[in-house]
Amino acid sequence: MPLELRSVGRRFGGLQAVADLSMTVAPSTIHGLIGPNGAGKSTVFNLITGVIPLTSGAVFFKGERISGLRPAEICRLGIARTFQATTLFREYTVLQNVLVAAHLLSAPGLGSALLWSSRYRERERRARERGLALLQTLHLAGLADQVAGTLPHRDQKALALAMVLATGAELVILDEPMAGLAAQEKAETTSVLQRLREQGLTVLLVEHDMKAVMGVCDTVTVLDHGLRIAEGTPREIQANPAVIEAYLGVEEPGA
Amino acid sequence: MEPSRGLSAPPGRALGAPIAGLALLAAGVVALPQLTRDSYYLDVATTILMNLALTMSLRLQVSTGQLNMAHISFMGIGAYASALLVTRVGISFWAALPIAAVVAALLAFPIGGLALRVTGPYYFLITFAFSEVVRLFFNNFFVDLFGGPSGLVGIPKPSALPWFGRALTFTTKLELYTLMAALLLVTAAVLVRLEHSRFGLVASAIRQGDLLAETLGVNVFRYKLTAYVVGSLVAGVAGAFFAHSHQVLHSSDFGLEPMVLLVVFTVIGGTGSVWGPVAGTVLMTIAGELLRELHHYESLVFGVVLILTMLWAPDGLVALPGKLARRRRVGVSLAP
Repeated sequence: MPLELRSVGRRFGGLQAVADLSMTVAPSTIHGLIGPNGAGKSTVFNLITGVIPLTSGAVFFKGERISGLRPAEICRLGIARTFQATTLFREYTVLQNVLVAAHLLSAPGLGSALLWSSRYRERERRARERGLALLQTLHLAGLADQVAGTLPHRDQKALALAMVLATGAELVILDEPMAGLAAQEKAETTSVLQRLREQGLTVLLVEHDMKAVMGVCDTVTVLDHGLRIAEGTPREIQANPAVIEAYLGVEEPGA
Repeated sequence: MEPSRGLSAPPGRALGAPIAGLALLAAGVVALPQLTRDSYYLDVATTILMNLALTMSLRLQVSTGQLNMAHISFMGIGAYASALLVTRVGISFWAALPIAAVVAALLAFPIGGLALRVTGPYYFLITFAFSEVVRLFFNNFFVDLFGGPSGLVGIPKPSALPWFGRALTFTTKLELYTLMAALLLVTAAVLVRLEHSRFGLVASAIRQGDLLAETLGVNVFRYKLTAYVVGSLVAGVAGAFFAHSHQVLHSSDFGLEPMVLLVVFTVIGGTGSVWGPVAGTVLMTIAGELLRELHHYESLVFGVVLILTMLWAPDGLVALPGKLARRRRVGVSLAP
């Protein structure tokens, strides 16, 4: 199992944001995490990636305990994420954004950067080529020299995904990859996600667009008030009474 | 030709601009003594070059997103270290200079390592507190070593260097100017090279979004500490030069007032570019000299200029031409 959460909990003062959550994400699958607003979905992502520490339980990645590690160390082990509010290095060009993200795969040392050896230049050239090739696959190659902060929303979303992929991560965690996209753009994102799965990557995503989630995910986990209330295939989830109740409320008897 | 140039350039950044910038800086530095040998102008120019080393290295630290108010202290550490190595240990200036720089860099490890655990206003305060500790230490402790409030006097000028059977001396204003010019050009070449390497790319990314950088696997702390130590090394070099060109050291040379000046120079010039501090330091030092008649009202004028810069050109003077050009382009495209 690449990712395993064991009884993970997070308390903010008196609020139990996530309670005793256990779940596993199988390799080369697209796994959805859904739930009403405030269910604790983003908190789960922050706990997995080490952005906030958990107050109970543990997270394992490929059998190794990652809870307690710093975000950079977790990324080094192969987990990268996007944020809900799309975050980029706004002053940098699209290609520069990708090169910062790719530094793990080809981080040149301070000394070799100063000496500017032929090996250093060769490494930089290859990093640049790899970055451009990655942009090509996400239809961003034409925008390589555009400043990221000036891009339209959908290209910023695509760039955030490109940066996550540039780290070389095996597990990519996407916080609302479809938010704010038009139908056509959602379809494109869906096909990109399916292609990533074919390449052997594992995707864990939070998404509010139910049609997109049910269409693309292999497994869906439903959270409500920090508790896992259901898990299964999209078909099972759609028929689950607990899920329907969480989303629509209980029908009053006799109403 | 075009594609091969593009491929050999550092990631995403043109190589032409930094080389042109360095060439321009070198040309200015070489041209000045051809234009005047007046000792007043040489003095001012030497001070500018020394301050450039300080503001350019301060900007390297600021590029990772935080303002180090103790930068001047590492200049002080380099200055006292070099002065004492020459006067007490008896080694030559040329051996003392690199040792003083390394001493400043070594002390930057624990101090930067401690201060960089906090961010924002806490970092500002902790580095300011440290700079006061250093100043008071030089002022009040080991008075027979550091000279106490009356200062450390009797520091010799840099000793002569053998040069193809001749002796290169460093006693006149022109010779001291030449020495500082050489030190600065090497420093500037290193800092510009760093800025246009992947190190500089990642360092400035941290300023734009440290959490994003961290989740992309950047060891943010290590980058900040590296910038802190490299910056302190440069400050140590400037300090050693200062000690042996002024020949007298007072603890107040490394206090809040000169530190604030460095910040003003750097911020007015702009921290987004490696050339920002160059523009800020040169222009503000010249302005300061022109305003000398005003005595202590000088700092009042600096304050006003700083406020106006923050209001109208928060990215500094070097970002202005690009901004104006963009505004003009937008104006044209909006015209019917």
